[in-house]
Amino acid sequence: MLIQIAWRNLLASPINLIIGGLILAGTFLFVVVGGLLDSLNDAMARSVVGSVAGHIQLYSSKSKDELALYGGMGGDQDLSAVTEFPRIKQTLEQLDNVKEVVPMGSSGALITAGNIVDVTLERLRNLYKAREGQLDDPRLRDLSREELDARITATRRHVRQIIRVLEADQKKAQAILQAEAIDPEVVAAVERVSKDAFWHDFEKDTWGSLEFLENKIAPQVTDAQLMFLRYLGTDLDRFQESFDRMQIVDGTKVPKGQRGFLIAKLMYEDQMKLKNARRLDKLKDARANGRLIATDDELKRFVKENRAQTRDLVLQLDDLKTAEATKRLQGYLQSTEGDLTALLSAFFDTTDANLEDRHRFFYEQLAPLVELYRVRIGDTLTIKAFSKGGAIQAVNVRVYGTFAFTGLEKSPLAGGTSLMDLMSFRDLYGYLTADKKEELAQLQRDTGARAVNRENAEDALFGEGNTVVAEATPGIIDEDKTFTGAGRRLREDDLVKRVYTEAEINGGVVLNAAVMLKDASRLSETLATINATASAQQLEIKAVSWQQASGILGQVINFFRGVLILAVLFIFGIAMVIINNAMMMATIQRTQTIGTMRAIGAQRSLILTMVLTESGVLGMIFGGVGILLGSAAMAWLHAKGIPAPNDVAYFFFSGPRLLPELSTTNLVVALVIIFLVTLLSTLFPAVIATRISPLRAMQADE
Amino acid sequence: MNAIVSIRDVVKEYQLGTTVVQALRGVSLEVQKGEFLSIAGPSGSGKTTLLNLIGCVDTATRGVVEVAGKDTAKLSERELTDLRLNTIGFIFQSFNLVSVLTLFQNVEFPLLLQRKLGAKERRDKVMQLLEQVGLHTHAKHRPSELSGGQRQRVAVARALVTDPLLVLADEPTANLDSTTGNQIIDLMKTLNQQKGTTFIFSTHDHKVMQHANAVIRLADGKVLERVSAREAVEHALSLGEAPQAEARA
Ligand SMILES: Nc1ncnc2c1ncn2[C@@H]1O[C@H](COP(=O)(O)OP(=O)(O)OP(=O)(O)O)[C@@H](O)[C@H]1O
Ligand SMILES: [Mg+2]
Repeated sequence: MLIQIAWRNLLASPINLIIGGLILAGTFLFVVVGGLLDSLNDAMARSVVGSVAGHIQLYSSKSKDELALYGGMGGDQDLSAVTEFPRIKQTLEQLDNVKEVVPMGSSGALITAGNIVDVTLERLRNLYKAREGQLDDPRLRDLSREELDARITATRRHVRQIIRVLEADQKKAQAILQAEAIDPEVVAAVERVSKDAFWHDFEKDTWGSLEFLENKIAPQVTDAQLMFLRYLGTDLDRFQESFDRMQIVDGTKVPKGQRGFLIAKLMYEDQMKLKNARRLDKLKDARANGRLIATDDELKRFVKENRAQTRDLVLQLDDLKTAEATKRLQGYLQSTEGDLTALLSAFFDTTDANLEDRHRFFYEQLAPLVELYRVRIGDTLTIKAFSKGGAIQAVNVRVYGTFAFTGLEKSPLAGGTSLMDLMSFRDLYGYLTADKKEELAQLQRDTGARAVNRENAEDALFGEGNTVVAEATPGIIDEDKTFTGAGRRLREDDLVKRVYTEAEINGGVVLNAAVMLKDASRLSETLATINATASAQQLEIKAVSWQQASGILGQVINFFRGVLILAVLFIFGIAMVIINNAMMMATIQRTQTIGTMRAIGAQRSLILTMVLTESGVLGMIFGGVGILLGSAAMAWLHAKGIPAPNDVAYFFFSGPRLLPELSTTNLVVALVIIFLVTLLSTLFPAVIATRISPLRAMQADE
Repeated sequence: MNAIVSIRDVVKEYQLGTTVVQALRGVSLEVQKGEFLSIAGPSGSGKTTLLNLIGCVDTATRGVVEVAGKDTAKLSERELTDLRLNTIGFIFQSFNLVSVLTLFQNVEFPLLLQRKLGAKERRDKVMQLLEQVGLHTHAKHRPSELSGGQRQRVAVARALVTDPLLVLADEPTANLDSTTGNQIIDLMKTLNQQKGTTFIFSTHDHKVMQHANAVIRLADGKVLERVSAREAVEHALSLGEAPQAEARA
C-alpha cells in the first residue's frame, strides 16, 4: 500500500521525471565512466606490469627521489644504489606470493650518429690504418691485405660519389643564390676533390688527403642526428621469463649469461630507420587505417618531406649503386631523367592510388641497395658514459635484435626503452664487477696506467660497420678511481663473448628491481609484507606498487577518477538539492492528507516510511534504469572495443583496442550511492512530514 | 458507567501573538454510549475546538478529557494515535480522502493501520461498508471521480470500518447542499441505530440538528444548555440563525 501511494504520488508530479532523469544520468555516468576507468586501469596495469615495472618495484630506501619509471617531474631521479641485491633477492623470493625478483637499472644515452660523410671517411681512415698495422680492430684484424685493398677501393668510390652529389648540390645553389652567399673557399675545395688528380695522388699523402676531406668537405653535410636512447639494464634472461609479453622482433635474444643489447623495436623504427623508408611505412599504415593522403595534412607533410629529403638515401650510394638505382627508377617511372635526386623526388610523390605499389617497389628494388637502419642487428654499439669526474666509461655491446611487447608494439611509452645486460650497465655506471676489477688491474700493469684521452677513445670506438657512439648520461655513483686507467682493449670482444653466471649477474649493485607476484590481486598485502621484511632484515630497500613506481603515469588514472568522482558528486549534489526541494513541496502540498492519516490513526513512523519509500522507489526505478543502460552501454563497448585514438593510447589501452569490462563492484557502489543520495535528500522532508499535526486534517488546503 | 466521553471544567487557550484567546472557558459534558449528539453554536463558539479535544488531536489547557474511560492528558502521543485508530472514527468537513487511492483503499486504510485483519477479512469488511453507504459498485474509482455527497459517504464508511465506539464529525454537511447533507445525516443516523455507534457532530444547520437525540448549545466557549433537538431547532429559529446557516450551506 505504501509503495502504491508512493508510486501514485510519483506519477502525479512531473518534477519527479527531472529528478529521475538526474539520478539516471548520474548512475549511467558512474557505471559507464567508472567501468571505463577501471578497465583503463586494468589495461594500464597490464601495460606497466607487463613491460617494465612488474607488480612491485624495489629501490634503495636511501634514495633522495622517489622511483618514477616513466620519468618524474624534474628529469633524472636521484636513486641510490641497492648494494645487497643477492641477499634481497634471496630473502624476498622466499616470501609466499613472490615469484621472481628481477634486477634493474635504467639510464639514457645520447647517440651521436655521425653523418654519412663522417662515417664513410672514418671508415676509410680505419681501413688505411689497419693496412698500416696501426689499428687493432677485431673486425678488421683477420682481413687479408687484398681484402683490405678491395674495401679501400670500394669506400673511396663511395666518397667520390658523395662528392659528386655535393658538387651537383653546389651547382644548384649557384644557380639560385647570389654570388656573395657562396663561400669561394668551399667551391674551390669541392672542385679540388672532384678532380681525378686528387684521387690519383690520394695515397701520396694519405693522411693529408683524408684530413682535407674531413676538414673541408665533411662539414658541408650537416645532417648528423642526435638520438636519445633510453635503456634498462637488467638480467636479460630473467627479464624475458618474467615479462612474457616481451617478444623478439628481429634478430635473436641475447644468449644466456652474455652481454648484449636489444633495441626497442619502435625506437629502432622511429629513430634508426632511414627516414624515407619510415615515412613510407607510416603512410602505408595510415592508409590501412582509412586515412587519405589527399585530405590528411600529416600525410601530405610526409610526402612532402619524402620528396625533399632524399639526401640520406643518395649519399649512402656509391657510384655503382647510384647507377643501379637510377636505372631501376627510370624503368619504374618510365622516365629519362638522369639525376637520381630528381628521380627519387618523383618516386616519393606518392598518392593514395600509387602508394601501395611504390611501397612494394621501394622495399624490393631500392632497399637492398642501402642500409635501412643506422644500426644493424649484429653491430656492436658503443655506449659511452662521461662520469662526474670527466673520465670516459664506454662499453661495447652487441646488438642482438629488437623487441616489442605484445599489444604495445606502437606505444612510445613501452617501446621507448631498450634493454641492456646488467654487466654492461654496471660498467657504464662505474660499478665494478670482480672480473672487471681484475682485468683493470692487469691492464694498468700492462699499460702503465696510461690515461685515455678523449680523442683516442673515440678513435677506438669507430669500427667497421659501427656507426654509432652513444654517450650515457653521467653515472650517479663516482666510478672507481682505477677506471680512469682503462685502455681501449677493455671494450673489445673478449668481454662481448663472455658468459656470466647467475651469481655474477646478481652479484653487483642495481638501481631498482621488479618483483613479479604469483597472485596479483594480493598486491597490497604482499607489498606490506615486503616492506615489513625489508625493515626487519635491514635490506635498506623500499617497495612500491607499480602505480607509484610509474610516476606521473600512475597518477593519470587517479586524476581521471578524481574528475569522475567530482562529476558524479556534482550531479548527485544537484539531484539531492532538487529532490530535497521537491519532497519539501510535495510534503507541504500534502499537509492535509498527511494530517488526515495522522488523525485517523497513522503513527509518525508510518509517515516517515511513506515519504522515504517514495524517493526510494524513485531512486530504485531510475537508478535501476541507469544501471541497466550503463551495463548495456558497457556490453556494447565490450563487444565493439574502443580503438586507441593514437600511439600514446596504446599503452593505456594495453593494445590497439580497449575492451571495457564491467565490474560488479562498480554496480554495487552505484547502488549504494543511489541509496545514500535518495535517503539523505529525503530525510529532512520526511522528518518535517512526521511533524505535521493531525489538527491539519481539519483545515482546508490552502 | 456508560459515559463514552466525559469532560470536566475544560479550558482551551490559544496564544495569538501577545494575546491569549480562550476558545473554551470551562466546559463540562458527558456523552453516553449510543447517543447521536449534535453540537450547535454560533461561529467562533468553540465547536471545532471541543471536537478536537474529544478526538484526541489536541489537548486541553486545563481540565479533564476522558475518552473511553481514558484520561487523554495522561496518554503519550503514540497512545493517543492508537486511541484514535481503534476507538474513534473521523468524518471531515472537506471529506479528506487520499486522492491517489481508490475508494476501496481509502476505506481499507485504517484496517491496514490496525494490522488486525487478514486480506480476505479486510476485503469483506470494506465491501460490506461500501455497500452500506451504497458505493460498492465504485470500489475501484478514485475520489476525484465522485460527487461531494458520494465522497462524504466514503468518508463515513472509512470512519466506521474499524467499528469505533465513537464517530466525530465537524460540520460534515457544510460542504454539501442541504438535500445531500440530509442524506449523509440519515446515513449516519441509520448506522447509529444499527450498530449503536456513538456520533457527535457539529453543525449550524437546524435541519441537520433536528436529527439529533440531543443538542449541546455552545456560546462563547461555554455550554449554554443541553436540550432536545426540537428545543434546539426552535431556539435557533427564534434567534434567526437559520438564514445564516442556510446561507453557509
Ligand atoms: N489555532 C487557533 N489559534 C488561535 N485561535 C484559535 C485557533 N483555533 C480556534 N481559535 C479561536 O478559538 C475560538 C473558537 O474557535 P472554533 O474553531 O472552535 O469555533 P467554531 O465554533 O468551530 O466556529 P465555526 O463555526 O466558525 O467553525 C475562536 O475565537 C477562534 O478564533
Ligand atoms: Mg468550526
